[in-house]
Formats: sequence, C-alpha cells, structure tokens
Amino acid sequence: MKILDIAFKDITRSFRSVFAVLFMFVIPLLITGMFYVMFGGMKGSDTGFSLPQTNIVIANLDKGGAGFDTVMSQFPADANIQSLGDMVVYVLQQDNLADLMKVTLLDSAEAARSAVDTQEAGVAVIIPADFSANYSNLNGQAVLEVYQDPTLTLGPAIVRSVLNQFMDGISGTKIAVNEAVTQTGSSDPAFIGQVVESFLTATARTRDPAALLKVSSPAATETEEIPFLLRVIGPVMGGMMVFYAFYTGTASAETLLQEDEMGTLPRLFTTPTTQATILGGKLLAVLLTVTIQVAVLLTLGALIFGIHWGSLSSVLLFAAGTVVLASAFGVFVNSLMKSTKQGGIVFGGVLTFSGMIGLMPVFMFGSPSTTFDTISLIVPQGWAARGLFQSMQGATTGNLLLTLLVMLIWATVFFGIGVWRFQKRYA
Amino acid sequence: MLQNAIEVKNLHKAFGDLKAVDGVSFEVAQGEIFSLLGPNGAGKTTTISMLSCLLRPDEGDALVMGHSIKDDQMGVKSVLGVVPQEIALYNDLSARENLTFWGKMYGLRGPALRSRVDEVLEIIGLTERAKDRVGKYSGGMKRRVNIGVALLHKPQVIYMDEPTVGIDPQSRRNILDSVVALKNQGMTVLYTTHYMEEAQELSDHIAIMDIGKVIAYGTNAELVKIVGQMDRITLTINAESGRVLEAWKKVQGVKQVTAQDGTLTVLADDSNQVLPRLFETSALNGVRITTVAIQEPNLEAVFLHLTGKALRD
Ligand SMILES: Nc1ncnc2c1ncn2[C@@H]1O[C@H](COP(=O)(O)OP(=O)(O)O)[C@@H](O)[C@H]1O
Ligand SMILES: [Mg+2]
Repeated sequence: MKILDIAFKDITRSFRSVFAVLFMFVIPLLITGMFYVMFGGMKGSDTGFSLPQTNIVIANLDKGGAGFDTVMSQFPADANIQSLGDMVVYVLQQDNLADLMKVTLLDSAEAARSAVDTQEAGVAVIIPADFSANYSNLNGQAVLEVYQDPTLTLGPAIVRSVLNQFMDGISGTKIAVNEAVTQTGSSDPAFIGQVVESFLTATARTRDPAALLKVSSPAATETEEIPFLLRVIGPVMGGMMVFYAFYTGTASAETLLQEDEMGTLPRLFTTPTTQATILGGKLLAVLLTVTIQVAVLLTLGALIFGIHWGSLSSVLLFAAGTVVLASAFGVFVNSLMKSTKQGGIVFGGVLTFSGMIGLMPVFMFGSPSTTFDTISLIVPQGWAARGLFQSMQGATTGNLLLTLLVMLIWATVFFGIGVWRFQKRYA
Repeated sequence: MLQNAIEVKNLHKAFGDLKAVDGVSFEVAQGEIFSLLGPNGAGKTTTISMLSCLLRPDEGDALVMGHSIKDDQMGVKSVLGVVPQEIALYNDLSARENLTFWGKMYGLRGPALRSRVDEVLEIIGLTERAKDRVGKYSGGMKRRVNIGVALLHKPQVIYMDEPTVGIDPQSRRNILDSVVALKNQGMTVLYTTHYMEEAQELSDHIAIMDIGKVIAYGTNAELVKIVGQMDRITLTINAESGRVLEAWKKVQGVKQVTAQDGTLTVLADDSNQVLPRLFETSALNGVRITTVAIQEPNLEAVFLHLTGKALRD
C-alpha cells in the first residue's frame, strides 16, 4: 500500500525532527508541569492530591472528675469515656480525621514530647491529670498542652484548630453552667447536667469534628470530588494538548508545501502513483501524527499529573474529534498558503491567536464565565476545549455528542476546502 | 517493436506572456543518448517537465514508449525514471531509506526491493555510507543518490536534467561514465545540459535549444557541418574591438566576426591563411593583437553561428 508507505515516511520524518517532538510533547508537558509546580502539587493518593497526614501522640493522664454524666451521654457507649481527657482522645480519633492524622496513645508526657523531639510525631497533645477536675471545678481552668515540631505548619495547625473548637465548646458549657449556678444559687449536679445538655444541644455543630475541619481545610470538603489542584491542572494540560494538537496538525500538513518546494512532491508525481494516493498518504500522516501526540499526552497527563480525563468512551470521542479537527484545520490553513515563507504568519499569528481565543475558558480556572465560553466557540480550538471539559466534568454522552457533531462539521468544512484546493493546485 | 522511445510533437508551454517552450518537436530512438543543449532559460526543464507529465502542455503531445503524455500518464510514468535538475531527496532519511521509499513508489516490494536497493547503492558507490542521512552528504554524493532513485525500477527511458551542475570534476566524470553505462544496458537517455563538451561527448543526437525553440538538430558531426568546416579564432586586442571589427570582416577567408566582452571571435575556412591577414589588418589600424586561440569547429561555434551569442553567458 503506497498510501501507507507515504504516511509512514512522513511520520518517520516528523519524529526525527527535534523541533517537531519539542512542540508535540515537551512543551505542552513543560507548561503543565510549570503550573503544577506553581500550584504546589505533588502526586499523592488515588485522588491525586491530599493534605499530608500528621502523626499525633497523645499522653492522656486525666484522672477524671465529677459532673460528666450528661456530657458523656452525648458520646457512644462503646467509646468508653470516663473523663474529659477521653473525650479529647475520642475527638482526635474520629474516622473522618483519619486521613489527616494518625493518633498514637502514650503513657507519659515525657514519652510524648520526646516522640516530637525525635520527629517520630509532629504533634504531642498532653492531657494533664487534673484536666477533668479543673473543668468540674467552677473556678478551675482546664488546660491542654500542645507540643509541636516547629518545622511543621499544616498538621499542628489542624490539630490546634480541632482542639480549640473543642475547648471553646466545653468552656462555653462551663460558662453556661457558671451562669446558671450564679443565677439560681443551686449546685445540684442534676441541675448542672440539664444546663450542660441544653447548651450542648444548642451548640451541637461544634461537637462535629468534620464540621470544624471544613473551616481549616477547604481542600478536604466533602462535596468536592475533584481536588483543587486537578481543577487547575486538568484544564491547563488539556488546553495545552488542544493548542499543540492544532500546531502539530498545521506543521505536519505544512510538509505538503515543504515537499513541493524541496522538489520531492513533483518527483512523487513522476512516479506511477496517483494524485489521490499521494495526497491521501500525506493527509493520513497528519492524522496519525496528531493521533500519536494526543494519545501520548493523554496518557502522560494521567500518569504524571494524575489527571482524570473522564470516562473511557467520552475520552475516546473527544480525542478522536480533536485529532480530526486539528488535522483538518492544518490542511485548510496550509491550502491557503502560497509557500512556507508564510509559515511565520500562520504559526505566529493564526495559530496563536485562534488558540488563545479558543482556550480562554481554560485560564478562567473553572470560574464560569459565559462570555469567554461563548467567544471561545468562534474558533475550532474552543470546541475541542469544550469537548475536553465536558469529558472531564463527566457530561452526558448526549452533550458530548453534540459538541463532537459541531467539531466534525468544522472538520468537514476545513477538510473539504483544504483537499479541494490542494487537488486543484497539484492537478 | 517501437522505432522511437520518445516522439515529441509541437509542444508549447507559456508562463503568462513568456513562451518558455514554443513549438518543440524531436524524436529519440530507443537505446540512444539524446541531448537537449541550450543556455539557461532555453526551455529544457520546461520540456522535460511536460514529458514527465508534471506540466500540461498548452498545445502538442508526446509519446514515451508509445504512451501519450496527455492520455496515458500512468503508462508514461511506469516506463520512466526522472532525475530532476534540483536534488529531490529527504535529507532526514538515510540513502538506503530514501532509495527504499522511492523504490516502493515505483511499485517494488519485499526482497526484490531490498536487493535492488543494494544494487543501486553499489552503482552509485555509496554502499559504505548507506546508513548516513542524506543531509550530511556532499553535493556530489547527493547528486549520485538523486540519480540512483531514477534507476531503481530499471526504467526503459530515463530523463536527466543537468545532472552535473555544480559538482567537482571527479563526481562529474563518474556521472558521465554512468550515463554511458546506462545506454550500454539498453536504456534510452534524454539528457539536458548547457555544457557543450558533455553533449558532444555523450550524445548520439543533439537538439540545440534557445528561447523555447529547437534551432538545430542532428548528430554532433551533422551539427558541426552547419558552420561548415570552419575554424574558430578567439582574439583579444589592446584597443576597442570596434577599431578592427569592420576591417576584419572584409578580410579574405573570414566568414563572421563577432565581439563580446572585449573578445573577438572570427569564423574562418582556414585559420592558417586568415591569421596573418588579421595581424596585418590590425597593424594597419594601429592595434596590437594580445592573445590568440584557435579552435576546430564545435557545438559552441554552431550555437554562436545560429544565435550570435555564446552558449555560456
Ligand atoms: N513555473 C514557471 N513560471 C514562470 N516562468 C517559468 C517557470 N518555469 C520556467 N519559467 C521560465 O521559462 C523559461 C524556461 O525555463 P526552463 O525551462 O527552466 O529553462 P532551462 O531549463 O533551459 O534553463 C525561463 O525564462 C524561465 O524563467
Ligand atoms: Mg533547467
């Protein structure tokens, strides 16, 4: 098959060109990498990004005290809570904090502190023996000691945030009890228990550690399925891929003009090979080159940056649409050029300008702007980018197909005009 | 069996107002080397382009091994090997890769292709460098690969458009020898050149072209007869050529005197008789002859005779 021989020859030449490979793979990956570093990312767990886990040691020395029955009744029975110190331990051991902190219980304050000193743990929480007693005593002051590794910021901050909320909650209870005692003059434990209970009910939210965490760590909020970093990196990488797919489509279609000028195209026409085969081979090469590029960038994007491009079927649809559109665009643009001398205008002007318009939504970083979205759709890159976002956001097949249909219409028009003009030119 | 490998009938091609090829006809017998000789811009390449179906003639037709360039282009292309004037190769592919690719374009495949590529590499003397990218080759080596491509499918007819332009004498010698070798293998060669010596050495028949027309046609001997058996004397003098031009034209035995760039060219029946008279006449006009060169009749003289200008300008 001569058509395959011609395509294979072109692909070989493309991949031998350092310049072409640079623009096809290296630059899009580098730019994405730049954004990745800028936003401080590193590949974490499955979700691609998470806050680091902090090791916490707790020395719970609390000997307990009176007046906790009601408060204790707020906790599950199997938690086996005997004191206010147990409550602190219980709060820090909540399941929904498990991703953020790993809690180890130690017997003595010294052991806890030395765990931090030796950097086995990031934070030590020391609950003094008189913690509950001081709390029970209306005039006492319940104090927790937090000992932390000075080089760490995030982990200890989270721990302190959780503890502060907790302490605020219980001191609020204490103030409420104090108020009630002062006003009624009664120090009947049952009465105090009632006051505590009603206060805790009123401030129920503060007892929920997950709710506390919402304040201190937006990245972990439960409604977000895609981590922040990926909300940025996915579109950037996708945008780069669309931009450079169009670049590759245009550059590889430009080999038609180059070969005409080099004399190899006229020479091909002196061999017993039909015009359809020669043009077909060249166009096939454009398609295959962009296909390889898009496939490689999609794969590397997922592997290096952990980008989730969407479901397999939608990725395939979108990738196919982008490949066809970028190739057709390249053929069309080159068919308008008289010679490669106009390449500067095409690459510096047409490609860059239309690419920038088409990719405006990318650099909105997900903050929706209908104006930019609409403007971007006047260029084919805008539609390719739209398909990509829809795929990443898990759009319905119907929506994706609609975008794909528009892409294919663009492609058909570009391809039709481009091929027609080239056929006329080399007839 | 066909009498002629190529029959060219009244080809015309104009670029705008410029008549690049203006009614060219000639015939090339099978198995001969036929040269189109003419200065730059004569229309040689335009003629070759029409004969290889790259350009559509405005008028006229040609048959290549019986295939019409108008009606049977695939037939023409399948019997043809073309060596274009400008090197047409992929610089980023090796010589072997180039030859393999072009061999496929000529319909060769598999082991036949591989062994033919080896043969051609041997013929053009680049077996050792076959793996190097053509871009790294010298001009002469590239020219050899350029020719090699046209030999792959053992064509019946081969066109070579100025294959020796701009290369060293040694590569030129190799190429001229290989043209003769092709003829000895039974190929028909249509050769274009603006070097008179090449046409003279290689050709069975020569067509001299100028400004889009064939102005003379024949064997070397036949063409030389056009200027008669005249000698050509080239002289320089220490004064304006105008001071002797008219006087020399009147000298007995002188057929033609032309002046160009301070050099006078005299065509004469016998230089032995004419030369003393030229010295005499110039002395009478107070002019000294500073150099003299005598040439037996050749194509250069023919061209000069027919056009009044030198072949190489
Ligand atoms: N594609 C073209 N467009 C316009 N003029 C051309 C073109 N090709 C050749 N010419 C002109 O036609 C004339 C013959 O050119 P060419 O056939 O290349 O001559 P040669 O090969 O004998 O040097 C020249 O005057 C050249 O400038
Ligand atoms: Mg020429």
